[in-house]
Amino acid sequence: MTAKTITCILAGLVALLGGTMSAKAQNLSGLDVYRVISQAVQEAAVRNRPATIAVTDRVGNVLAVYQMPGAPPTVTVNSGRNVRTGIDGLAGVVPSTMAAISKAVTGAYLSSSGNAFSTRTASQIVQRNFNPGEILAPGGPLFGVQFSQLPCSDLSRRYFNGASPVPPDQFRGPKRSPLGLSADPGGLPLYINGVVVGGVGVAADGVYGLDADVSDIDTDLDEIIAVAGSSGYAPPQDILASRITVEGKTLRFSDVDARALAATPGLAPAVNPAGFIGVTGYSDVPILAGQTYGSSASGVRPVNAVSDGPGYANVAAVAGFVPFLLTSGADAPFFPVIPGTANAGQNLTAAEVPVILGHALRVAASARAQIRRPLQSFVQVTVSIVDAEGQVLGQARTPDAPIFGIDVSLQKARTAAFMSKQNAAANLENPGVFPSIRVVANAINGLIPNHAYTVPNYVTNMRAFVGPGSLSDGIAYTDRAIGNLARPYFPDGVSTNGNGPLSRPVASWSPFSTGLQFDLAVGNIINHVLFVRNLNLDVTGDGRGDFDPDGNGVVNDTGLGCTPVVSNSSGLNPLANGLQIFAGSTPIYKNGVLVGAIGVSGDGIDQDDMVAFLGLHNASVGLGTGVSHAPAAIRSDQLAPAGVRLRYVSCPFSPFINSNEQRACEGK
Amino acid sequence: MRLAIASAFLLILSAVPGWAQGKSPPPIPNAIPVAVPSLVPAGPPLGVPSRAAFSGSSSASSYLRPNVQTVVANSDSDNQQVAQVLRRPRPGEEPVDDTVRGDPRERQGAPIPAGRARSYEELQTRGDIVPVPDRWRILEGLGFKGKWYDPYNNNVLKGDKPVYGKDGFVLLNVISDTVYEPRAFPVPVGVATTSRPGTNDLFGKPDQYVFNQNLITNLTLIKGNTAFKPPDLELRITPVFNYNYASVKERGLLRRNPERGKSRSDNHIGMQELFLDYHIRNVSDRYDFDSIRVGIQPFNADFRGFMFLDNQPGVRLFGTRNNNIFQYNLAWFRRLEKDTNSGLNHIGKKIRDDDVFIGNLYYQDFPVLGFTSQITAIYNRNTEQKFFYDKNGFLQRPAAIGIQRPHDYKVGYLGYNGDGHFGRTNLTVSGYYAYGEEDGSIFTDEKSDIRAWFMAAEPSIDYSWTRLRGSFLYASGDKDPFDKKSKGFSSIFENPQFAGADTSFWIRQNIPLIGGGGVALSQRNGVLPDLRSSREHGQSNFVNPGLRLMGGGADFDVLPQLRLSTNINHLNFNETDVLEALRNEGEIRSSIGWDMSASAIYRPVMSQNVVFRLSYAALLPGKGFKDLYHTENEHFYTLLANLTLAY
Repeated sequence: MTAKTITCILAGLVALLGGTMSAKAQNLSGLDVYRVISQAVQEAAVRNRPATIAVTDRVGNVLAVYQMPGAPPTVTVNSGRNVRTGIDGLAGVVPSTMAAISKAVTGAYLSSSGNAFSTRTASQIVQRNFNPGEILAPGGPLFGVQFSQLPCSDLSRRYFNGASPVPPDQFRGPKRSPLGLSADPGGLPLYINGVVVGGVGVAADGVYGLDADVSDIDTDLDEIIAVAGSSGYAPPQDILASRITVEGKTLRFSDVDARALAATPGLAPAVNPAGFIGVTGYSDVPILAGQTYGSSASGVRPVNAVSDGPGYANVAAVAGFVPFLLTSGADAPFFPVIPGTANAGQNLTAAEVPVILGHALRVAASARAQIRRPLQSFVQVTVSIVDAEGQVLGQARTPDAPIFGIDVSLQKARTAAFMSKQNAAANLENPGVFPSIRVVANAINGLIPNHAYTVPNYVTNMRAFVGPGSLSDGIAYTDRAIGNLARPYFPDGVSTNGNGPLSRPVASWSPFSTGLQFDLAVGNIINHVLFVRNLNLDVTGDGRGDFDPDGNGVVNDTGLGCTPVVSNSSGLNPLANGLQIFAGSTPIYKNGVLVGAIGVSGDGIDQDDMVAFLGLHNASVGLGTGVSHAPAAIRSDQLAPAGVRLRYVSCPFSPFINSNEQRACEGK
Repeated sequence: MRLAIASAFLLILSAVPGWAQGKSPPPIPNAIPVAVPSLVPAGPPLGVPSRAAFSGSSSASSYLRPNVQTVVANSDSDNQQVAQVLRRPRPGEEPVDDTVRGDPRERQGAPIPAGRARSYEELQTRGDIVPVPDRWRILEGLGFKGKWYDPYNNNVLKGDKPVYGKDGFVLLNVISDTVYEPRAFPVPVGVATTSRPGTNDLFGKPDQYVFNQNLITNLTLIKGNTAFKPPDLELRITPVFNYNYASVKERGLLRRNPERGKSRSDNHIGMQELFLDYHIRNVSDRYDFDSIRVGIQPFNADFRGFMFLDNQPGVRLFGTRNNNIFQYNLAWFRRLEKDTNSGLNHIGKKIRDDDVFIGNLYYQDFPVLGFTSQITAIYNRNTEQKFFYDKNGFLQRPAAIGIQRPHDYKVGYLGYNGDGHFGRTNLTVSGYYAYGEEDGSIFTDEKSDIRAWFMAAEPSIDYSWTRLRGSFLYASGDKDPFDKKSKGFSSIFENPQFAGADTSFWIRQNIPLIGGGGVALSQRNGVLPDLRSSREHGQSNFVNPGLRLMGGGADFDVLPQLRLSTNINHLNFNETDVLEALRNEGEIRSSIGWDMSASAIYRPVMSQNVVFRLSYAALLPGKGFKDLYHTENEHFYTLLANLTLAY
């Protein structure tokens, strides 16, 4: 008891000393975490609005979750559109802890030393218009990113509560985000010495939503408390979202700043230790220090040309710099470079994969970043390569690429490979997965009335919209093309029109209920919510919990791998971290046969597109082994459903830092 | 011999609107009484100085320049007319001594011919005099009678004879203005979809053309002794009937909805004038006066249309003093919404929350004879808080850049303008200082102080049938878009008759800031790079790169019917930081490039009744332009073919 008091006093002192702590470290210490929590708690207490507060490190380790007495135990998911589909409208189910963690992860994952983004930024770029509410404006550039970092992702690491012995990847990232990325204001990144070290997320107002109108200035309780929490850990002014433009429009960071605070953060008193809580699947009670990004312990570190094998050594050689990769177990690459499985006699070899990765990174290093400051920064992204079955053949990233792109680049690559493969329609309609899906769908019905397993319907839509052979005719789809088909308006932004075939109709669409993307993952998401709450529902009435197949009374976590899709050619899950529906990938062909895809994420979508497209092109020229882009005749831009041509890629204006060249991708 | 022809030509020119040469009278500002019926259509803004002609603007035709979304309403024609009527004697000319009455021959001591009639009765008896109903019908009384439609003889439709009472006149003008304009400037291919497969980048095919037809009809009712003294009352109505067509090569350019194709035809009826002018009083026996004009009326805030040259509803008190040495205006305008594609007034739309208050004073022959100075104070208050989309679906207010939140601004402009000549050197100068406040700057969304300035000068000199001209312009730019100062100069509604005017590529074309938001680098018929959504609908924007322009040109009066003009301007941004921030692109250099143009104006019957104009301009991109746009193997140009027929 006395010891605790002393700790609290010490922590209070540290909080008082403010910035002195931030001078030395590039990770969050336990005291930093405590300070953030105490500052947020003070603000919430002064406002008499009890809050749930989460702090994570940059790679998503949950360092602390604090719940004040009286804090709303759950949030209502609400886009404000009143659509009541998907998880939109879900009330009384999702724990506030999941919301707070998702928001903290979002602040940390979207940010880097070159850009500080928040959940409000996310809100601005995931809606059906950019800016939200602007009539006829195409959708947000990161439309769909909210369904990344999914709890079912096969890429994300998991935390095992109280595991003994501690698994080797227990504190490695990137960790999953319980609800995907969040668009609900109140999630901010945390910085020390200009380096992003984590994020803070707050759930106090009981709503998990978004900001549908960016033309006004909100007074959002969650955001105010998060601003208080992040005091002393704020990003440098020059890299705030509000200084970064996309299509000439500045992004929103926060609608409030320190002037809105009711209490002085630096004077925050010690908090009641009883408020620290563990969250199933994410954290236990003791406060953790954050991992230092870049260390092996963080799970993301520079390539070691000796120990990581010749594949990654070659990636570095081709790229011209030392990239980063994910690490696992005894510090080995999480995704070792491997050859792809053969597809119609063709496959990417273990020698080709590093060359493609390297060329893509090389393009990135010469390209003008759209979302980073200072100006003249180069593009920082993660590049993933998969084979035609969605299996990862290699992944590498630039040193400071935002973390979210690790998962998203893989989603994008898998989406391009999956949708371009001639068995896409069959796999989406796969009758083999129906029975189990129906069970899940029925179970979900207890939470989401009228939920039905609708995935096969999207194939029907595609056939009606694009052509009878759609998704089985071998058309090469980039994620840009898929994204355009997955918008609630087609063409994108034209609100007088109906939806694209992979989207829900606009009347039932929301960022919490997107269409095929969401429907593929809804079972996993709901399963995970019930797991975190250990809510053992038995909607199906078979005497055991719907997500408790072993009948031990404890809800199982969602399996490793999202979506119920099983490839009929490999028996594997080709979309194991979910489908993604915004630009930044292109399928890879070899001697005219689909052999995989390259996915890129982390900068502007045109930059992502270019890194993928030019990277593959340059590799194709360098390799001379038949690896290439899809022949022009089978690219999606040959199609013009409803008279609207499906873009293949869109490379950016002024693409390179030190060149006047403007049409980088023409004729390639 | 050539000299004689040339000077004869100049004489003719000086009698024709828009053609007055260096020897023309000083520019006539707005304060000049304008109720004199003019032979060319009234309506367009008054007071554009004579040398506007050199900048290539064609008289009434410049009412409208069609475009993707912009049109000009401007003409200098009738002002020249007015100038001719009201000109004061120039140095070297015989001063008119109108204080002495009677037979001038008597005054000059000349002998009076014998047999001069000594009385009215004697005149009548001798047949030297014919009774006529009034002074307007003298010619008629003498047996001259034109066809009813013949404007060159006494004509009721042209205000030559009263139609009601002894001093009620009607004046009708009809002008057809046809423009065909092929052109090329950088365009984007659109985000959602493209015209063709294989379009992998952002920059599309720049070639396009527009066709625009205006029928300008102007009806004026006048009460008063027209040519003999300022009218007492004038009512004018000028509807303009427009048809326009545009054709481009990429989707999403003409309309925001990319499904809506690559061509667009549209039409509109714009009300460019609808006012009542009441002559309050004369204050001297030289007809110095005070007058008030209420309604949609032309106004030009300076000599060259740098600040506000538009036809807007307002109330204007104006007049002259001291034998027209001083002229003043006090005016309040509330701006109408424009029709997007014709650029004409749209009286069916809600009037804008934008007020312009103007007070100015012209001082003729100051500081030297032949030079007119003007000082002006202008206050522009804009409180437009509602989102406004144009007819084509593009967001216009707030502009789709930066924070994109509705914002107010209040700005005062203090200006000095001068026009005239110092000896043989003609000179126009203009200077403004803008001081005010933006409530929510486009980058910071915080209050920002407007501190910006502008200067322009155009000296010229005539050698026989040739005029040589230099153009210099400086508009301040904003160095730090993220601070609380807005230092880029922006005007209210510019329509510059300067440096080649609409013959110039830069001034003529609307160059979109591709990738930098839904704004144009420079507006159509505008010289300032003030990054507005459009000149017609957009708000002023004081966070902009500013401009430096240096140029020169020459005009050649080759034939009485033909004038050739050439112009070359070099353009630079002042500060590119704003552009860099908007595009998230560093190291954008300042050079826009060389803008080279040539034009020919052909008037086959040596009058303004038939005017054909052909002009061509090309931009040779500079380094800054290349940093912004795809320029390789592209040819950016504007060609303007314009036929004006006037009745």
